Amino acid sequence: MTPTVTGCNDSRGVRVDGDRRSCEHVFAMTYVELHCHSAYSFLDGASRPEELAAAAVNRGHGALALTDHDSLSGAMEFAQAAKALGLRAIHGAEVTLGDGRHLTLLVRDASGWRSLCRLLTRAHAHTRDGRGRDRADPAVSLDDVEAHREGLVCLSGCARSGVRDEPTMRRLLGIFGRDAFRVELQRPLARHDRALNRGLAGLAERLGVATVATGNAHAHTPARARLQDAFVAIREHTTLDASEPLRRGNHAHVLTTPQAMAARFADHPEAVAESGRLAETLTFDLATDLGYSYPGAADPAAGHTLAEICQARFEDRYPAGSTYRAEARIRLEEELRVIDSLGLAGFFVLHHDILELAREIAVQVRGRDSARASLPPGRGRGSSVSSIVCHLTGLSHVDPIESKLQLGRFVHEDLKALPDIDLDFPREIREQLIPRVHEVYGDEHSALVAAFPTYRARGAIRELGKALGLPPGEIERVARGSAGWSSRDVDRDIDSALGERRRTGRWAWLVQLAREAYGLPRHLSQHSGGMIVATRPLIDCVPLVPAAMEGRRIAQWDKDSCADAGFLKIDLLGLGMLSAVERCVDHIAARRGEVVDLSRIPLDDKPTYECIQNADTTGVFQIESRAQMGSLRRTRPKDLAEITIQVAIVRPGPIVGGAVNPYIERRQRLNADEHFEIPYLHPSLEEPLRDTLGTIIFQDQVLEVAQAFAGFSVGEAEGLRRAMSRKRSEEAIEAEHQRFVEGAIRTHPGVTKELAEEVFAMVAGFSGFGFPKAHGVAFGLLAYQSTYLRVHFGPEFLCALLDEQPMGFYPPDALVHEAQRRGIAVLAPDVNASEVGCTVTAEGAVRVGLGYVLGARADEVAVLVEARRAGGPFRSLEDLASRAGAGRAALEKLAWSGACDALAGGDRRVALWQLGVTAPGTSVRGREGVQLALALDLPAAPQLQPLSAWEAMVADYATTGLTASTHPIGLLRPRLRAAGAVDVGALEHLPHGARVRVGGLVIARQRPETAKGITFLLLEDEHGTVNVIVSPQIYERERLTVRTEPLAVVDGRLERHASAGGAINIVARSVTRLEVDDRVTARVEDFALITGLAGDAHAVELARRAGLQQPAASGSEELAATGTDDFRAVAPPVMNFGAGRRR
Amino acid sequence: MSPGPRRIAEPRPVRVRADGAGVPLEVDGRAVDAVRESWLIEDRWWTERPLRRRYWEIVTVCGRNVVVFRELEERRWYRQR
Repeated sequence: MTPTVTGCNDSRGVRVDGDRRSCEHVFAMTYVELHCHSAYSFLDGASRPEELAAAAVNRGHGALALTDHDSLSGAMEFAQAAKALGLRAIHGAEVTLGDGRHLTLLVRDASGWRSLCRLLTRAHAHTRDGRGRDRADPAVSLDDVEAHREGLVCLSGCARSGVRDEPTMRRLLGIFGRDAFRVELQRPLARHDRALNRGLAGLAERLGVATVATGNAHAHTPARARLQDAFVAIREHTTLDASEPLRRGNHAHVLTTPQAMAARFADHPEAVAESGRLAETLTFDLATDLGYSYPGAADPAAGHTLAEICQARFEDRYPAGSTYRAEARIRLEEELRVIDSLGLAGFFVLHHDILELAREIAVQVRGRDSARASLPPGRGRGSSVSSIVCHLTGLSHVDPIESKLQLGRFVHEDLKALPDIDLDFPREIREQLIPRVHEVYGDEHSALVAAFPTYRARGAIRELGKALGLPPGEIERVARGSAGWSSRDVDRDIDSALGERRRTGRWAWLVQLAREAYGLPRHLSQHSGGMIVATRPLIDCVPLVPAAMEGRRIAQWDKDSCADAGFLKIDLLGLGMLSAVERCVDHIAARRGEVVDLSRIPLDDKPTYECIQNADTTGVFQIESRAQMGSLRRTRPKDLAEITIQVAIVRPGPIVGGAVNPYIERRQRLNADEHFEIPYLHPSLEEPLRDTLGTIIFQDQVLEVAQAFAGFSVGEAEGLRRAMSRKRSEEAIEAEHQRFVEGAIRTHPGVTKELAEEVFAMVAGFSGFGFPKAHGVAFGLLAYQSTYLRVHFGPEFLCALLDEQPMGFYPPDALVHEAQRRGIAVLAPDVNASEVGCTVTAEGAVRVGLGYVLGARADEVAVLVEARRAGGPFRSLEDLASRAGAGRAALEKLAWSGACDALAGGDRRVALWQLGVTAPGTSVRGREGVQLALALDLPAAPQLQPLSAWEAMVADYATTGLTASTHPIGLLRPRLRAAGAVDVGALEHLPHGARVRVGGLVIARQRPETAKGITFLLLEDEHGTVNVIVSPQIYERERLTVRTEPLAVVDGRLERHASAGGAINIVARSVTRLEVDDRVTARVEDFALITGLAGDAHAVELARRAGLQQPAASGSEELAATGTDDFRAVAPPVMNFGAGRRR
Repeated sequence: MSPGPRRIAEPRPVRVRADGAGVPLEVDGRAVDAVRESWLIEDRWWTERPLRRRYWEIVTVCGRNVVVFRELEERRWYRQR
């Protein structure tokens, strides 16, 4: 539609907006918005590009330009959204000059896109040069702009920070020429903007340049304009009340209709008309004009190369006479044919090359002769594991023929986008692989993929609460008590933390603002491992910015934008368990002289399966969590296929899709009676769902069901899966729904509409996240391998896990306690026995490394260990201080952790006191060695009160995050017993339904979104762990205790169901804080007496007093001095409500 | 005794006739000759006293430069200067 308005300038140079009808001249014009910010301007824009696109269409715009600050991060999202809505997307950016002024640059054609990408890359090139690589603001010079002018149109910038002076305007005119330079007029309805515009229009006339009107939109609704106000306060680290001069002062920056904008510029109708005319010339379409290709894409010989690589390995893997040779041959030829017809051979060759690169790095990292040299450098995960080509090129370690994996969704003839190949690497190999990929393919040809963290509840409460000027203490209470997921439910967080009286005023605004902020990108960060590589320089396709880690660069696009652009993304993921397995293999070789080749371990090892079936799996890969353990006891997996299902089952897809209970029930019946017949909804479902007993557990089964039951082609089925996963839209799913039901009725004569609906419900329920089967196989195998290591090489496995933290479900403390219960001895750090990392002693005990002592720097610890190796064990504290080369701070931490006990007669206080008066030697920088200090005799420590067991335990946690001596609950056992509590070991002998009281250390808190508000606590005492079920009512009543107390007492009912494999749960009636209230109360001391004494008399008097105090201390047993508050400050961080490990 | 601090340039109610679009045509009985500036203030929305005002700097037929604003919440006109 063409909005038409009329207007002109009157003779006095002043305009009255309302009297335009009296003018003689009439212009017909179309306003196009050429200046608009999305939330990708980070804290200077409050709407997503797709929201802006939809609002623009609703308000009658035919085209819209997105011009974020120094960024094209939102460009692809905008282009895709606009295309779907029939809006013409124009691309550009508002670049910042060195002096802080802004220029609006718009892309005219493909060369303009290249220029802008290069210019923005340049703008960010030095944003990480400062100390600590902290992010600085991007900026370019006018010379940079000149060098990248091709294909760009320049507008003189916004009302607040644009270019206004004539010399710079002339320079810009010189750079861009009349054709591509415009003086930008804005009307933000601020005071003096009409005067400013009159001045700018006059200047434009003198220069002979056209003016163009723009709106500088920052939001698509008034509610978001308010959020934008709050963003300004956040950006400037101040409050809304204090940021008045920095804000826009009104909400005229909401995207409005072309008519309203034209009316706003009634003084400058020619500038309005120019916006439409200029927009016509900006023809670049990001969705089609990018011109990207990956290395090898155009290589005609790639198909041949790939076939050769596969052939070379084929003979090794499937030698003549092997069972699968014939099948593998057929499969290989078929795959190569499909890959060739899709032109994807280069893609596979490229992945193979990267894996070869990883192999080289692995040799360097591991050493040629190490025990782990036989391990592959990395392994595939995800759907690629189903491909025999991937298997033969080394991208996957799973034999797809033997594991009966269908190629299905990975590569098929209807494929529209590049398939995903995800590779897992041990961490240290990945660390080096990423810079090597940069090196091999060139800095300009490779980059990491970006990720944009969005506002979550806690961040929103803290930042927006501060902007609103709410009391910091209360903000913190709400934030800490928050369930932590969606910023849409902040009202509930406020209610439960502060009570319902806080529903008004600024707290109500906090709720609204947090709700609006939901889903908006907060800043640019790095994707967990995705890399893109290209033949032509990537900086022609997307701007690259330096990452926080040196030598790495990030593209400004996230994985969805990269996929839309058709970029080849290679996922190089770090997997802690792979590193742990490598470490474990090394430890085994070092202690037992035995080389474990994981690819050759028996896959039917009885003790391993016993452990899995009894859920004795703490620390192993994937099947160790509280939920997995609960499910293991019920399904009792007895081969790899069942473990594969096991790792896939505790996922949102199968849970929401209602597959979990039917699967478990059928598996149990089948275990009891092998003739049990699986009930399938329709005979056509038997084939795709046989392994999973009639339920949908793997993602690929969605495809297979759609094909077998509804008669979809592979491509159609893939379309269904896509509609259900990424960025789901109700309409798209509904359309698929209809096709599915109709297809089923057409394909199978007997199928009724009801049955078709029932099957679709099963499929649609799966729409959440689930594993492809191939991914399940890869992970299932690693789960088995890690259990095998845990069963047969317990100390080595524990040792490896401790050194690879953080990883897995349990904190190191829980791993140590669990191992101790299995009879593995764990020894505390000791300066004369520990290495930097954890070690296994010849007797099979695990010695915690000195690196575990928090606050002792890695280099200091390394020097200490080196000094001990060179000069023998430390003989005394003086000797330690003199030779260790560690600073006093580190020595004090070591002393407090108990690592120096042996040198101080077993007393940490003495060690701490004596090391506190030494002058330690220092390590010499750049050279090996330590500047020795004079080994002076240390004065004897005064009589110090010995550390109680509780204090020592608190010190253990404070310094190492774990205790290898008595469990905290063990110390509290006498009082727990007195209070009628039983220990976890005793629960086994109690009947179902018994009322129990249990005290424990909370080692996990979970409230899965799929569990209807139920919260689970995992309690640990010195005898084991028990699962506690907390109902929503109890959770609400005792929320703070449930969420934050590390030590809790639970009263409740014991549940033990045969169907749950005899697993014990406690259904809580109440959860209370476990009080340890023996604190030392203040004592009045009379120092007058002591000051009158001198020398020995002084010491004698102190000794006498210490003697007097002893009985008082022993009265409170081992608990003296500190209480639960002290423990809370040092309690190990645990799995906490999906927010990772926190205290 | 001092009267204490006194606000200066305090807005005073004024009689304004405006057209349908809100542009002042007459201020205190004097016709408006030209509008020099017009701006919009929407602020303090998070407080109990939000501010929404449309300001007009106008020249009357007798040559006076006057700033008036419309209080958009209470729908009343004030004169600032």
